[in-house]
Amino acid sequence: MKKIETSRRKFLQGTVSLCVYATSALAAPIVTTKTSATSKFTTTPYLCNMCRNKCAGFARVENGEVTKLDPNPWFPKSRNMLCPKGNAGIQALYDKDRLKYPLIRIGKRGDGKYKRATWDEAYGYIQDALVKILDAQKDNRSTIAYCNGEGFNKDEYIQFFGSKLGSANFLDEGSICLNTKLGALQLTLGDIGEPDVAGSDYLIISGANRYESLITPDSIDMLHTKQNVVVLDPRCTVTALKADTYLPINPGTDLAFCLSMLYVAIKEELYDKTYVKNHVKDFGKLKTHILSSNYTPQWAEQKTRIPAAKIEAVARAFFKAQRPLYYLGRRSVWAENDFQLRRAMVLVNALAGSINRKGGIVFGKPIKLPKEEVVEPYYANAEDRFDLEGIVYGSRKGGSWLNFREKVIEGSAPYPVKAMFIRKHNLMQNMPNIAKTRKMLEMMDLVVMLDTMPTDTAMMADVILPECTYLEREDMVVSFNRLEPSLALRNKVVDPLYESRSMQEILKGLGRKLSVPLFEVSLRYDEELQESVKELGRHKAFEEGGYDLAELYRNDIAARNRNLITKAFGKAVYRSLREKGVWYPYLAEHTTVGNHLYRYYPEEKKHYSVKRDYSVKCYLKKLEKHGFDPMPAWQKGYDFIVPKGTFRMITGRYVTSTQSATTNNSMLRDMQHTNHLWINNKVAQKLQIKEGDEVEVASSISKVVIKAHPTNRIAPDVIWFSHGYGGSSEAMHQAFGNGACDNAIIEDRFEKIYGCAAMHHTNVTIRRV
Amino acid sequence: MARYGMAFDYKLCINCRACEVACKEENGILLGADKHRLWIDVKEPEGDFWDLDRVKATFTQMQCQECEDAPCLKACKNEAIYQDSNGIIRLHDEKCDLSVDCVKACPYDARYVDTRRKVTDKCIFCADTRLARGETTTACQITCPAKLRYFGDLDDPQSEISQVLKARKHFTLKPEANTKPKLFYLD
Repeated sequence: MKKIETSRRKFLQGTVSLCVYATSALAAPIVTTKTSATSKFTTTPYLCNMCRNKCAGFARVENGEVTKLDPNPWFPKSRNMLCPKGNAGIQALYDKDRLKYPLIRIGKRGDGKYKRATWDEAYGYIQDALVKILDAQKDNRSTIAYCNGEGFNKDEYIQFFGSKLGSANFLDEGSICLNTKLGALQLTLGDIGEPDVAGSDYLIISGANRYESLITPDSIDMLHTKQNVVVLDPRCTVTALKADTYLPINPGTDLAFCLSMLYVAIKEELYDKTYVKNHVKDFGKLKTHILSSNYTPQWAEQKTRIPAAKIEAVARAFFKAQRPLYYLGRRSVWAENDFQLRRAMVLVNALAGSINRKGGIVFGKPIKLPKEEVVEPYYANAEDRFDLEGIVYGSRKGGSWLNFREKVIEGSAPYPVKAMFIRKHNLMQNMPNIAKTRKMLEMMDLVVMLDTMPTDTAMMADVILPECTYLEREDMVVSFNRLEPSLALRNKVVDPLYESRSMQEILKGLGRKLSVPLFEVSLRYDEELQESVKELGRHKAFEEGGYDLAELYRNDIAARNRNLITKAFGKAVYRSLREKGVWYPYLAEHTTVGNHLYRYYPEEKKHYSVKRDYSVKCYLKKLEKHGFDPMPAWQKGYDFIVPKGTFRMITGRYVTSTQSATTNNSMLRDMQHTNHLWINNKVAQKLQIKEGDEVEVASSISKVVIKAHPTNRIAPDVIWFSHGYGGSSEAMHQAFGNGACDNAIIEDRFEKIYGCAAMHHTNVTIRRV
Repeated sequence: MARYGMAFDYKLCINCRACEVACKEENGILLGADKHRLWIDVKEPEGDFWDLDRVKATFTQMQCQECEDAPCLKACKNEAIYQDSNGIIRLHDEKCDLSVDCVKACPYDARYVDTRRKVTDKCIFCADTRLARGETTTACQITCPAKLRYFGDLDDPQSEISQVLKARKHFTLKPEANTKPKLFYLD
């Protein structure tokens, strides 16, 4: 019989112990409301926005107040669950620190001094500044950079500032997140695909922490699928704890492991010969390269610290499995070899034939949504983006943040960037070397922030425009997934609080204010426009040229959704999206498979394999042309080296947080008060560092102080602490000064194939303070 | 009338804490690690990093065990604690004088002091929220990504919980205390 300790003093043990000495000086506010026993309430289907996932839920509203969020059983993607963050969405809505009305800066940048303004005053301030800037830059619209960190409405935001306003400089989270992975898939397979975790019987996960960074449906499918799971990580995460096999690995050496898997597959002829013959291009070159480079398990052991026998065993088991999957992950780029690593992962899958089939990387069949067309004006003086200079591929859409920032602050950009519109993108926390971000923002003549919270970045803005939270707005219908595709709609749960507005309302107001004055700026510098006005007259040239920036907003969002959905899919689909928040073709056949889990698509209707002509490209000529390896290879500089007395710093996050976006959430802070430094217990003992001791972590660029958490779950030469903490905005009362900020000390290096920040390159020293 | 119980497919737990948040939001529970109706008991792996004994690491769902023979009920001198018609141990709030005898008597440490309502509190299967309005799930159960919680009527042989208890081996916590818990852990 099992004996389990049941003491309520549980918070003195294990990881939960952390809250005892945490910065819990603030009295816990009373933030929860008990739901009532009555049936007097409404429920509205909505889509969560507490992280990038977008799970579906139903919001319970009593007397105008949201009292509970529950999972939506109809949505194939989120599988009838809400995570802790999803449940705590109520606290994001009712956060006392929320941005409540427009603000205009009256103090110095960063000191947090603002005056309350009307929406019209805020728009007026922006108008005056933009006219001045564009006049000085002779209507080069790209002097206005704009960025966005939220998944929803991104394309619409780009349409406004890019297509309509004319700037080429859009930046998003891709270059501090997963662009290398997307690029590796696109360039190797011609599509980004989707991993079929539920269909796989042997799953290898490199570093991705699916049980503490929940991704739907992947994390949920792992829980409900009896597959063999192998996890590689320098830290024994919960994902590693739960794996069938856990292989501790040196940071940044997963590529060596993949190369060795390729070696075993080729040498022992374990690969899927039919698939390779039919689909893999330049396999001969790959074979020669892998064998002649001698990427044996013994070689990989030297790089990864994983015993050769284990590498060999995993490689054999993987290639002998029926439906193996090497999971490509979804997180920050780690090392400068990240693109090659993701490419190697794709090739491992390809050699196993795990592409476009059950349990592999599937292409599937996403539901196509029609686009809402607007007329895009032509700006003769608008210049192109410059942040992809020196980068082999890069994303034309979201660019490279570190290269952009470097060129701006060094003055090596071909033209000055003078204004920046930032939407829900916490630049002052989200990329390595924050000092440089501060410098970049200080160089701007105009910084405008659209956000729900007074973040560290908002405190650098001249004008702050309060956006409402996801529970206070409707958004345009979204198409999700490929294997079990569906449409989902975020319905509005309650009206916006305070004077906050949805992004659409903000852009509509801004568009109406700016359209004519900015058109007039163009008219002063744009000869073609001058001709057009002569020919058509001012009014017609404006209208037909598409200079009405608010064109998309002639209808409100509810009408736009109704028009678009009923026209493309019919009234029944529209009704389903309003009532259930979800539609997919087999919704009527939705059946339970026990304990509130469901079967969504009938097995034979899942898009495991689609007819498509494609090839897997082993060899990328363009890379060779630019002096990079055309096939994944190991370079000496990739070796894991940590000088004596230092540690390699790696980062990640807790299951209860989404980067810096949730650290002011009362409920989530209650679950995880602050971040702690994970340091190997034996090393800590030698350094006389005990649980809760304050330690200084120093890199070549700066240092932070953080409380220590000695543990046997991290390698001796590696330290870890969660991203998102250590906020500097005093207006965020829960987050301010709580814990340490990783990006204050992570060195700003980026890989040159996609321009992505490499987050796991920094060596640090540790000292008790 | 029912005899409610809960079964945990406890090994599926990833300690994501969705249950804790859902419970606090549903039932208006105060913030604070010492104020919760349910929690996850965390056991860390043992040994050296390079040779971790991961089997030792466990996440166990903890809350009131809804004892048939409840020590808390017997310990209360004011007769504030009673078993309702669904077998759930409940409290007459007005009779609670916070002498905390019930807190001390509970072998599972399931009770705590709710400083807002000024009573001792514990999990009651969302009896005065979800169940009261006719729902058939608890907040922790329905939100759980692992769907490891089975909740239902132990007297109904057709209920999912009865079925799963019939099909799978299970155990209760601290059987030596003879409290006859209605919460079961599936092996």
